[in-house]
Amino acid sequence: MRFLESAGRFAYFLVDFGRAMARRPPSLGAILEEAFRIGVRSLPVLLVIAVFVGTNLALQGANAFAQLGGQNLVGTFVAMAGVREMAPVIAAAMIAAKAGTEMASQIAVMRIREQIDALEVMAVNPLWYLVAPRLLGIVLVLPALTILAIFVTLLASWAVVVLQLGQSGAVFLAEARATVTGADLAFSMVKGLAFGVIIALVSCFFGFQAGRGPEGVGRATNAAVVTVSVAVVCLNYLLSVVFYG
Amino acid sequence: MADVSPVVPPVIELLDVTRRFGEITVLDSVTLRFPSGLTTAIIGPSGAGKSVLLKVLVGLLKPDAGTVRLFGHDVTEAPERELFAARRRIGMLFQDGALFDSLTVGENVAFPLDQHRRDLAGAERDRRVAEKLEWVGLPGFEDRPIASLSGGQRKRVGLARAIVLEPEVVLFDEPNSGLDPFTSDQIDDLVLDMKRRLGITFVIISHDIVGTVKVADLVGMLYEGRLVEYGPTADFVRSGNPIVKSFLRRNLAPPVSAFDPGEGR
Repeated sequence: MRFLESAGRFAYFLVDFGRAMARRPPSLGAILEEAFRIGVRSLPVLLVIAVFVGTNLALQGANAFAQLGGQNLVGTFVAMAGVREMAPVIAAAMIAAKAGTEMASQIAVMRIREQIDALEVMAVNPLWYLVAPRLLGIVLVLPALTILAIFVTLLASWAVVVLQLGQSGAVFLAEARATVTGADLAFSMVKGLAFGVIIALVSCFFGFQAGRGPEGVGRATNAAVVTVSVAVVCLNYLLSVVFYG
Repeated sequence: MADVSPVVPPVIELLDVTRRFGEITVLDSVTLRFPSGLTTAIIGPSGAGKSVLLKVLVGLLKPDAGTVRLFGHDVTEAPERELFAARRRIGMLFQDGALFDSLTVGENVAFPLDQHRRDLAGAERDRRVAEKLEWVGLPGFEDRPIASLSGGQRKRVGLARAIVLEPEVVLFDEPNSGLDPFTSDQIDDLVLDMKRRLGITFVIISHDIVGTVKVADLVGMLYEGRLVEYGPTADFVRSGNPIVKSFLRRNLAPPVSAFDPGEGR
């Protein structure tokens, strides 16, 4: 019942947001500021996670294929799992953890401190002022971060294959290059874009729905990150079905 | 109680407004007219419906029944464009100032100008901000961060922001709440100064009867969602209404002993 109520509120939120965007386009300066902030703040943690996802993909791929006698397939495995699935999801997860929680908590604090009411009274639509720059900023930056995560994952896998496992780096790269096409990169960017939309809208929505007091802020942030995480992995599966059948 | 229709034309009208939250009726058929150029205070105990009344008045909450008229236009079900046009003529001081923590004092005060008066050149914008900060007793505070301000200073900055677009109406939500008596007195003097300087309509929501008597021309009292008294301040303080008398006695009388047999009579 509560899920249906939240879904209904979210639908209203989307309609109101669509109307606000149609009435007045958001300021380019505010969008770029958000994109810069999201990108710079999320970059270090994203790089660290991408490195270790790459190292572990290479290790597990090498172990699995060694049993089948196909060590040369590590490049193919990392390219398929890393590029198509892991990199877009970890980039989204890191942005959700850093930028998404920040969006939810900032807006929730503004809600309980009457700053959103103040915007309304000053004849400024809060959805236009608070959500639009965050949404467009994240949409601008997440596809780029996804591509970056892909290359860092591949690089880390290559390093493990060459330096730790003592296998041929050239074979790894040739296998990876043969597996990853331009379409794969484009699909990953589309995933990044879709995840960005989900992260921004869901996080802002829960911020706006925050109840009173510090407890309300905590609950809103928690609900945002849990919902975004579930939504991203579900959407990732659906998009993979559409792209790769 | 009887409907009060002041001689001065009203800028804001609530006509038979009812607002419920679930089973609880917070405003019960309230009719109120706020006359132009006068200061009207609505007082009442906590939970009487004062804050809800203010939110209904500016369209932050929609009434379940009744009509809200701003500047002669029915805005009860008005689309956003119409409501926003009316709100540009209104400034509001929130309880805690509702200032944006990520902006400086100057940026907060300039916020309405940046949103609605982009025609103003930088120098004119800055001049207006400096002027309003001076009016509220905070000259040169433009570059200060919000986090460095005291409670009283936050209210002053909030007031500077509320008047920067030169509105026709300023709403005050509990201007004295959370302040010590000395700072509270200073805020009352500031409201009086603004009243003299601007000559516009003020609507004050408060539970502080001392400050109310000092600044208001008209006083209304809300009790359990109903308007139980409304009239000129001088008449209000002499009201024979037992609820008003009880509220005034608690707020105006010097403290009495808990064992005083006269208390509560």
